[in-house]
Amino acid sequence: MLLHLLNRSVASSHVYRDALRAMDDDDYLLLIEDGVYGAVAPLNEHFSSIAGRLYALREDLASRGLEGRCAEQVIVVDMEGFVQLTEETERSVSWF
Amino acid sequence: MNNADSSTAMLVVLRHAPHGSSWLREGLDVALVGAAFGQSVSLLFLGDGVQALIKGQQKGALGQKGTHPTLDMLAMYDIDTLLVDADSLAQRGLAEDDLQLPVTLIASSQLLRVFSRHAPVFNF
Amino acid sequence: MRYALLVQGAPYSHQAAHSALRFASALIDRGHRLETVFFYHDGVYNAQRLAAPPQDEPHLIEAWQRLHHEQGTALLVCVAAALKRGVIDERESRRHGMQGHSLAASFELTGVGQLVEAAMTHDRLVTFSP
Repeated sequence: MLLHLLNRSVASSHVYRDALRAMDDDDYLLLIEDGVYGAVAPLNEHFSSIAGRLYALREDLASRGLEGRCAEQVIVVDMEGFVQLTEETERSVSWF
Repeated sequence: MNNADSSTAMLVVLRHAPHGSSWLREGLDVALVGAAFGQSVSLLFLGDGVQALIKGQQKGALGQKGTHPTLDMLAMYDIDTLLVDADSLAQRGLAEDDLQLPVTLIASSQLLRVFSRHAPVFNF
Repeated sequence: MRYALLVQGAPYSHQAAHSALRFASALIDRGHRLETVFFYHDGVYNAQRLAAPPQDEPHLIEAWQRLHHEQGTALLVCVAAALKRGVIDERESRRHGMQGHSLAASFELTGVGQLVEAAMTHDRLVTFSP
């Protein structure tokens, strides 16, 4: 089981497509940095195939003015939650 | 997939094209050093990384080294698992004949197996 | 668990170093050990001795050094990536017949083999890229 990290906006980079293709059925995806722009509708629709396994980092949403705009389906975690995700998964893969 | 038992093999994913940035060169360096340390190393060329394999590359005009000579050295380091994402190749109008080395094509549906079967994964 | 971080973004150009430092303090708060931070690609600029950020910005280099002093975290800088970018310690400076050095205290130049080893010997490796 892997944790994938994405720090690019889906609006400007196609790297999320490769990340999604590399994901197994029980892998998680955590949006960090500019990746959190993908947590807001309608951009979050690009992640419809991984519903329930899509996370976004609260402090990166907050600093960008997005905390209240995050789509309901996205699970928001703080930095401790980020660490917990790395505990639960065997390893992580960073997409940039 | 030719690497069903490669769970202890290291995967280096190369996603950047030659010359435009140093990601490809620095990713290859990690692969070579890993092999020199006795690790079994697989390379996965994904996205623009497939451009690293195209035939006919040269030095840059200012004399900057390319990465194509390094690819020819992979066999010397016993790095012979060269995986190429078939979708990335087709999207760029490339076929296996256009590549400077023999490779193993990976279907899109098999990509996730490459990631789950290797540890560690370095994504460049 | 024993953690290693790989940092590949230059300080103040990208968020990578900020994110890595935030993650570092969170993992320590959860009782894990941050044993190694490896700086590669433009991440080697995190080890620049003469960085002088304005007072109202976080001082990233000092934050790395605090981790080294308080947690014993090894701050490893890839020598090949560092030298060509002008991040050089006293020994390499002498060897190249240069004057002065630019590597900050608590950081050490090392081969990329240390990154491979960190990946093998630590429980977790998390990468922060630009």
